[in-house]
Amino acid sequence: MSLRVLDPGIQCTVQAAARDGLRHAGVPACGPADPVSMALANRLVGKPVAAPCLEITFGPACFRFESRTQIALTGARATARVGGVERPFHTTISLKAGDMLELGPASAGARIYLAVSGDLPADPFLGSASTYLPAGFGGHEGRALRKGDHLRIAGIDGLPELETPHALRLPVSASYALRAVEGPDWPPGTHRLTNAVYRVTPRLSRMGAEIDGDFPSFPDAGLKPSAAVFPGTLQVTPQGRGFLLLPDGQTTGGYRHLLQVIRADRHLMGQLRPGDSLRFLMCTQDQAEAALRAKQVLLETWMPDFRL
Amino acid sequence: MSEGAYRIIPCGDDALRILCGAGDIRYQIAHRLGSCDAWPEIIPGKSDLTVAFDPHMETMAAATDRVREALLAGVGGSTHVPRRIELEARFGGGEGPDLAAMAERLGESETRLIEAIEASRLQVDMLGFTPGFAYLAGLGPALISERLRHPRARVAAGSIGLITGQIGLYALDGPGGWPIIGRVTTSLFNRLDADPFLLRPGDEVVILRSAAV
Repeated sequence: MSLRVLDPGIQCTVQAAARDGLRHAGVPACGPADPVSMALANRLVGKPVAAPCLEITFGPACFRFESRTQIALTGARATARVGGVERPFHTTISLKAGDMLELGPASAGARIYLAVSGDLPADPFLGSASTYLPAGFGGHEGRALRKGDHLRIAGIDGLPELETPHALRLPVSASYALRAVEGPDWPPGTHRLTNAVYRVTPRLSRMGAEIDGDFPSFPDAGLKPSAAVFPGTLQVTPQGRGFLLLPDGQTTGGYRHLLQVIRADRHLMGQLRPGDSLRFLMCTQDQAEAALRAKQVLLETWMPDFRL
Repeated sequence: MSEGAYRIIPCGDDALRILCGAGDIRYQIAHRLGSCDAWPEIIPGKSDLTVAFDPHMETMAAATDRVREALLAGVGGSTHVPRRIELEARFGGGEGPDLAAMAERLGESETRLIEAIEASRLQVDMLGFTPGFAYLAGLGPALISERLRHPRARVAAGSIGLITGQIGLYALDGPGGWPIIGRVTTSLFNRLDADPFLLRPGDEVVILRSAAV
């Protein structure tokens, strides 16, 4: 069984589990930008939640399956056609040999996840099969997929056809509210932000998203000694620009760490696209813990092995 | 100040920062935390140490208590002895394209500049930026150099970058904005090793001219 890449779109990489435990050596988390969507795709084809998947940025994209298989699509909102017939996201889709999957451009959200029922080959590296493009490791030869790539997949089909419960389908839209806690450099006495609306600029990659808007200014605008940063860290530069770090973001930074998107909401960052509007809902540590528990309980009902 | 007195502040909802200042105390605390308990990440910064905890397993209050207990138990006796690592390097030429210009700007010969680097007692302050990129402190203050105006799209693995007060070692090929003065001949990254990066925070490093021509 194999999958032929006819058009990978703007960027298509193999992603799997996060690459944890090596941030002290400068190795970022990697892994899916939207891990909830990736886990949901895997769930529909009977795979562990962090099994290797294709992460497709924006679309359009096109793949041909050279033997019978089952697939699932989740994430950004786009049309999917097999043999010209529209097929829904969030269901198990059974394909015949030679079927071509055509994905349209995403109309909301940024990343589509394609899971396949067989095993997608991926190079394990430093504890994870996820692709890290800046250093060229993991995934498929450490690089984004190209037109003509041929991925050999150990074929399995005959799985029950499933549907993601509606309560678990990610609401992709052009406007997001991310819950956040104050970062270590939050200026004391700052009350702004909660009502302010920010915008995602075109400077967007798996490393981070530039955010435009009115950020608090810092009395000493310069850099501070570099310290650990994480996916979900919002940094503010001396020029007052915001950078929200994503899974491939650097591990340390010297810009002001204004706020941190809470663990429960970080998966949403993977669907931000240029022009989206964004608000930060500041919350307390207790609220962050409650939010994580609530979302985790909900996701566990359908995916017992998933951890936010 | 006793180790128990360091301030511990939240760094998001699933990490804590220990404000312990610069110096070896960061590595001693990191060693202590790493040897006594499980933490998903322990990350030295330039003047602090950040530890991630698993919010599915414990609250921030419980994680803070664990850090405080470890600090109270004492880190001075953690017997963290810095490793001493000698790296051989070739300076100038294609491997150190910015050496000549730097020497000229400083009004020094290339040889004197290299000797100043060889005589420096360097220490891996921290790693970050890209996988395995090591920030080395301990360079003489007379070696003044700024980041390149136009960063290079690709700097070879092993390259030695120099900006005022610091050396940066590139463990992997990748983009880079530091002026490059040479390249170490020792591999800083060994893909097949369980711990693939040669350098760790706290290591003492000496860079010497390679004897091989």
